[in-house]
Amino acid sequence: MFKTWWKRALTIRDAPSYAEGLVFGTACIGFVLFVWWLLTVGEGDARLVDIYTLPSPGETFATFPELWKRGLSLSIVISLGRVIGGFLLAAAIGVPLGIVAGSYPRVNAFFKPLVIFGRSIPIAALIPLTMVWFGLGEFNKVMFIFLATLAFVIFDTVNTVNAVPDRFIDTAYTLGARGSRKKGARIAAIAGVIYGLLIMIGWHMLSESNGNGISAEVPDPSESTWAAQLFTSAAVTRFAAGFVMGFILWFPIAGHQVLRKVIFPLALPDIVNSLRLIFGLAFGYIMLAEVINAKTGIGALIINSQRIGPREHIYLCLFIITMVAWGIDRSIMLLQRQLFPHIKHGEN
Amino acid sequence: MAKIELTASEQPCELKDAPPTPAGQPLVVDFKNVTKTFDVGTKRAFTAIKDVSFAVENIPHIGEFIGVLGPSGCGKSTVLRLIAGLAPQFPATSGTVMVHGEPVTAPGPDRGFVFQDYANFPHRTVLDNVAFGLECRQVPEKERRDQAREWIAKVGLDPKKDALKYPHQLSGGMNQRVAIARTLIMHPRIILMDEPFGALDPTTRQRMQDLLVSLWRELEATVFFITHDIPEAVYLGDRVFVFTPSPGTIAHQFAVAPPDRPAREMQQEPAFLESVRHVRSLLDKLEAEKDNRSS
Repeated sequence: MFKTWWKRALTIRDAPSYAEGLVFGTACIGFVLFVWWLLTVGEGDARLVDIYTLPSPGETFATFPELWKRGLSLSIVISLGRVIGGFLLAAAIGVPLGIVAGSYPRVNAFFKPLVIFGRSIPIAALIPLTMVWFGLGEFNKVMFIFLATLAFVIFDTVNTVNAVPDRFIDTAYTLGARGSRKKGARIAAIAGVIYGLLIMIGWHMLSESNGNGISAEVPDPSESTWAAQLFTSAAVTRFAAGFVMGFILWFPIAGHQVLRKVIFPLALPDIVNSLRLIFGLAFGYIMLAEVINAKTGIGALIINSQRIGPREHIYLCLFIITMVAWGIDRSIMLLQRQLFPHIKHGEN
Repeated sequence: MAKIELTASEQPCELKDAPPTPAGQPLVVDFKNVTKTFDVGTKRAFTAIKDVSFAVENIPHIGEFIGVLGPSGCGKSTVLRLIAGLAPQFPATSGTVMVHGEPVTAPGPDRGFVFQDYANFPHRTVLDNVAFGLECRQVPEKERRDQAREWIAKVGLDPKKDALKYPHQLSGGMNQRVAIARTLIMHPRIILMDEPFGALDPTTRQRMQDLLVSLWRELEATVFFITHDIPEAVYLGDRVFVFTPSPGTIAHQFAVAPPDRPAREMQQEPAFLESVRHVRSLLDKLEAEKDNRSS
């Protein structure tokens, strides 16, 4: 019995059953906890590692209610909000731009220097500059994530578009696919409205939640209702700007049947997949930004735990961040399987 | 250019004279001294086809079926893509390519193309793949779906069971049926097929040949059919073009008996096998000449 199992275990690429895999995974967690326990067992000087450097597993998890009271759930929401805000903006601009650049190499040649710059710059080096440009508030965090991820989104999108085999495009042409400006304009107008609304509302939310930073535009909350503030003349200008941006970005895609019916849908599964990976990256960046400069968010929670304590919270935060990031990754992966049943994704 | 290889015969499977090209009639396809060189003026310059001339005349209500044979990399695909107007083979470096009396300017649905690897859109169901061309033409949804179902049935698929499947759920033969339906639904006047059955097993292949013959008769279109399979070209073709090794030119052009019986039956007959043997010896000779030149 054991002998046959051992032989299989030593066979290259022999796939274990689901249960067996689970056992091995659990064993790893158990091993880490055991080493942790071993290092921290005992009292005072009897411990291998002192309590300030490394609290024991029990001590760490016992402080969870306290961490919850410090506003853990709100911190998660705030951090996620910053990532999603900046990331959505980067995706909203980078994906259509990447599709157009991937389809028209001259557009790609134009944007290439910027993309190379954006991909090559160490992201942390951008933080001081974003503080100068966008202040210390929420706007800064969102724009930091936006700047940090935009080049990656464009680059990956161009690559996925280039990976669409020529034969599909040739086939589309020989079946009569062509430019369709009228329909393109209609679809691009819808995209424009969505972009306009998102920018108008997003801007409003950012300037409203600027309590923990310095902002040029601090609204007076007592003056009028939320909706009334939303529709100021400045807001209408922002809507118009968003509309123009959405229209310009999506018209080349919607206005040609080869792009709209073939290149975009064929590249989409891989675009979503790369967005999932870049989202993981962005989640890492926000921690960096929050550790450096923030009063709220998980990153701020960590840096405050290090400075003021309790140190146990650092470990809990790390654990929670991992779980959140993993959970989001899994959810997007599930969504991908639902959306694109014809493609296998994220098997590893 | 076109040599007449064999004398006329009434025997159904023997090779006949190539028909003389009549002057003054509108030609379906007209190649005049067409040369295609890639990367002109660089060290990588490569001539795919050189000085290719041929004409396919317009016979009312009958399309011609032209089998295209030749060694790998001899520019057969280049000829087809030039007719279709597909880059980077299009446009030609020199010479004129005329289709229905007009120079080719861009690809269009009047010249359907079937690829070896089907190129069915993976994100579309069989129904939406077949309806793609009509969708591009902005035919109303109900009408194009009805037509698509009709064509799904015509190529031997089940309009109920198969219509909502995705290409990855189909076998190679079924996928090629979808690709053929998707092309023919547009009623192209010219059908360009680049080794369409190359990836299929022999049995499926013969069934597809029979299917193609029956559909082609109905459509009255001109078919260009590239293949490496000599019996396939001799069976399907009214005419067979044999290309020389690179840079490709048409070495032989002759008429063969039309496919008037099922593939399995006709391909067993001695006269047919004799025709195949003859074409094979021609091809072998061309290959041998190439080897002599290069060594």
